[in-house]
Amino acid sequence: MAAPEAPPTYRLIGTRIPYIEGPLKVTGRAEYTDDIKRPGQLIARLLRSPWPHARIRSIDVSAARAMPGVAAVLTGEKYPTPFGVLPITHDETAIAVGKVRYIGDIVAAVAAVDEATADRALQAIRVDVEVLPEYTDPKTGVEKVAEPIHARGLNGTNIQKEVVQHFGDVDAAFAQAHASVRVRGSYAGVTHAFTEPMATIAEATPDGRLTVWSATQVPHYLHRALSEVLGIPMHRIRVIKPEVGGGFGGKSDPLPHEIACAALSLETGRPVKILFDREDVFVTNHGRHPTQNDVRIAVDAGGKILAYDIEALIDGGAWSSFGTVTTYYNGVLSMGPYRVPNFRYRGRRVYTTKPPSGAMRAHGGTNIRYSIELGLDELAEQLHLDPFDLRERNALPPHSTTVNQFRITSTSFVKCLKAARERSGWDDKFRKLPYGRGVGLGCGFYISGSNSPIHFTPKMPQCTVHLKADMDGGIAVHCMQADIGQGSNTLLAVIVAEVVGVDLDRVHVVRVDSDVSPVDIGSYSSRVTFMMGNAARRAGESLRDQLLAAAARVTGYPPEKLVVGHEKIEVRHRPDISISYIDALHAAMERSGALLASGAYTSPPMGGDFKGARAGTAPAYSFAAYVAEVDVDVETGIYKVEKVWAAFDCGRALNRLAVEGQIEGSIHMGLGQLMGETMNYRGSRLMNPSLLEYKIPTPQQMPQVECLLVGDDDPEGPFGGKEAGEGPLIATLPAAGNALYDAVGVRFHELPITPEKVVRGIELRQQSGKSWKGVS
Amino acid sequence: MHLDPFELHRPTSVEETVALAGRLAPKFDYLAGGTDLLPNYKMRLNTRPNLIALEDVSELRGVSLDRVGAMTRLADLEAHGGFRSAYPGVLEAVVEVATPLVRASGTLGGNLLVETRCFFFNQSFPWRESLGFCLKADGDRCHVVPQKEKCYATFSGDLAPSLSVLDAEVEVAGPDGRRRVPVTTMYDAAGDGIQRHHLKPGELLVAVHFPPAARTLRATYRKLRVRPSFDFPELGVAAAARLTADGTIDHLALSVGGTETFPKRFDELTGPLVGSRPTLPRVRELAAEVQKRVRPVHNTFLAADYRKKMTGVFVRRAVGQVLGIGEGRP
Repeated sequence: MAAPEAPPTYRLIGTRIPYIEGPLKVTGRAEYTDDIKRPGQLIARLLRSPWPHARIRSIDVSAARAMPGVAAVLTGEKYPTPFGVLPITHDETAIAVGKVRYIGDIVAAVAAVDEATADRALQAIRVDVEVLPEYTDPKTGVEKVAEPIHARGLNGTNIQKEVVQHFGDVDAAFAQAHASVRVRGSYAGVTHAFTEPMATIAEATPDGRLTVWSATQVPHYLHRALSEVLGIPMHRIRVIKPEVGGGFGGKSDPLPHEIACAALSLETGRPVKILFDREDVFVTNHGRHPTQNDVRIAVDAGGKILAYDIEALIDGGAWSSFGTVTTYYNGVLSMGPYRVPNFRYRGRRVYTTKPPSGAMRAHGGTNIRYSIELGLDELAEQLHLDPFDLRERNALPPHSTTVNQFRITSTSFVKCLKAARERSGWDDKFRKLPYGRGVGLGCGFYISGSNSPIHFTPKMPQCTVHLKADMDGGIAVHCMQADIGQGSNTLLAVIVAEVVGVDLDRVHVVRVDSDVSPVDIGSYSSRVTFMMGNAARRAGESLRDQLLAAAARVTGYPPEKLVVGHEKIEVRHRPDISISYIDALHAAMERSGALLASGAYTSPPMGGDFKGARAGTAPAYSFAAYVAEVDVDVETGIYKVEKVWAAFDCGRALNRLAVEGQIEGSIHMGLGQLMGETMNYRGSRLMNPSLLEYKIPTPQQMPQVECLLVGDDDPEGPFGGKEAGEGPLIATLPAAGNALYDAVGVRFHELPITPEKVVRGIELRQQSGKSWKGVS
Repeated sequence: MHLDPFELHRPTSVEETVALAGRLAPKFDYLAGGTDLLPNYKMRLNTRPNLIALEDVSELRGVSLDRVGAMTRLADLEAHGGFRSAYPGVLEAVVEVATPLVRASGTLGGNLLVETRCFFFNQSFPWRESLGFCLKADGDRCHVVPQKEKCYATFSGDLAPSLSVLDAEVEVAGPDGRRRVPVTTMYDAAGDGIQRHHLKPGELLVAVHFPPAARTLRATYRKLRVRPSFDFPELGVAAAARLTADGTIDHLALSVGGTETFPKRFDELTGPLVGSRPTLPRVRELAAEVQKRVRPVHNTFLAADYRKKMTGVFVRRAVGQVLGIGEGRP
């Protein structure tokens, strides 16, 4: 047998490269949407519904319109075309039409000379409504209701989407199981809480064009939605994405305010800006769904998983948003990192009269994973197995297929387990630390790019990258991918520089602008590194080949004998014979001027042949095994996650610095959901729409993080890379949850785990007579 | 969110300030660090057309071991080596206030008179309007304890309990001249979340004075909150004690903030311990009794019953520490 081929090495790929826009951001010079000021711009403000559910009888805007300084007041009827991020669930309008569905729903939009005037105009609008019943608990919405929130609710209920799937024979598997466990998980809603509030500027111009600058993750879907709702063809709309200060999924729907802002510009003929305040951001939400799940797992005597039986009740809030995907994901994203031979799932997402939930980092994979990983920890205990051993026994093998037809290619999950176990000192700590201190294992699995583009245009690639190299030696890169702080601009530049063999500073990533950027479908589903990376590589190769051809003409060596060196092209195995990059470029330009090159990516066909088979299919998956160590003050319930050993398989880490940043940020965000972040509703009312009362962990609560990047190259990922933007969040929560069990002997199935719940949990354990680590 | 216009006044002396206040009363607020007031103004919470900035009033400055000017920034207090070593218990409270950025603006006087807080009060105008305004701003009813008489907004300053247990006094200037009031009695036990102190309209905090005995006390401050910075107290316990050479309790004081509308001293419970030797059972008894007597309501992030329960734990730990018989976590 031949020795395995050593993985290739690269000049830039795999090193630690600071973000190319970093110096601009840390000095305040980066341009975000609100930094842009257009001449004569108006300021828009939105009148939001004070009612959770009401039928609009009439809206009197005459007084507001008559106020000096008010340029336009819009209500919903003018642009009633429904839209939504998913083509199958268009249930939103730019401004409410007929009904309002949550406290914060947009009733009217005002453009005025300044914010104070716009605010005064909002006060002058009179809205007459018939108040309708509010529906805050998804449980009540699964039955027929008096006044469904949307007409499209299933059979007079508030159910937005129901998914039922069954693979194998779950009942038979449970009948022959040696052991089983049931976890009923309860998850409060959480939200993205990115730094930059939403902001949009729209400018309709007399040439019949509309330009929209917006803080968005999905410039292309925004482009489509603007066109559909405003009735302007896409080629007359120009969408520009300035720097974006975080998104995490919260800027991945085309949002009503973006369309309303554009409508106000069309109405007034002037540029219109809208900047959200923090409360606007909170009520716009689209965060992680409040969820109840009920998970049963059956195993054999050796701890092999026989079946999952899962139910999920998902609180959607007022709109569909990504909800159909969410409903699938809460089931199917349990298909890894373990082999599950029998699987049954029933998921229901129910409309409620609350701010809409949507996609948030590790969308659909977080809550279900927590329940499963806590269940597996409990099963390991029942079977007297080490939690690591139980997981290793069940690991999905590389190049396998799951029971629901997911195509698994690369997985370094077992390597993740080994690294986390060894580096954390697990065998010396698990059940051996004193009462109040504990370690826990949690694992993760996530898609590396959704295989199905949301707006499915057959035969159109998911990403295209264009390059232009001109006589100055610089390479301009055009692509509609959305860098929202995750480092995709840097990766784009790195890949091009790597392939063409030039210094990084020759590569200039041009700001996303639909007039010049070829389509990429945006930053969601952890698709950008994989899809844009492959497209960029191909574009780079095309440019490189033009340089090689020119170098061949100059040197007389055939192109196949030439290779790219650093800033030069040289003869293979004869580095003493070379031509500089600049000379090769200029030679290439003699015939055609500036060089142009293009590369694209389309994911291969995959998935089964049944309803919903595409949900969760991806060209690759990431894997994770995390160990968390916690320290609990058992009297107050206040705890600190002291350290996380994060073993992660993102294939080859293309920019190690960026990957480590994503892992650290993911752990921070995951711990937020675990420890205290919560969309705190009383009825339909959000009680904490502020960063003071929405408890994002502070730096003092951040554990030490040791990143263990153990992934082997993925066969299809660019340079072997896979996603590292969302998957790293998932394992954080169950690792810490299981560590809390090791610390105090209580399984916390309800998030967030606030100090009061820890105290209550310990009390209940004591009342049950169960002692833990020798402490009663 | 925009700030409605107001007129800004910038007096330079205490006398000028008080005269100005007399003229503008009641349509003004004093502006110290502004870290609480201005966000509240943006939410249109009890805004007034005049702000009297205290920035330029030099008498309100200065830090010594006997006297700290009311306009002293918390960050300056933190950086003052002499103050820090003389009053480590107060410093424990100072560094727990908000964040370093807020402490760079926030002042001693501002923290003593910080607005009481409530889930139903600290909200934007549209939020409050949609629910119906409350007793404390623009309305006539309480959403926490449904009735129309008393506001239950929670006292959320960190420094008052820690200064109270040192028997510090505030110097107040007003239309009738100057007076000194113990920090402890400045707050109105009979008042509510609106009427929470005994200062008269227009009276100005000039300074905090420390009695010499304050430097002989061992003091501590413990704060309960979800996160170890940023958050206001959900409970704040200050304790101070002195033991005689033979180890009996010579002085013991305890003040609890963050649970009711004012910081509460428990002299009736700590007094009987003076003259005795500190013992754990006595400290536990004291803690249990204090826990019984505090009455938090559910108007902050953590549930009222948990804050009540934690009062016992925090009192036991704080008092145990100052008496040198600590148990549990420091």
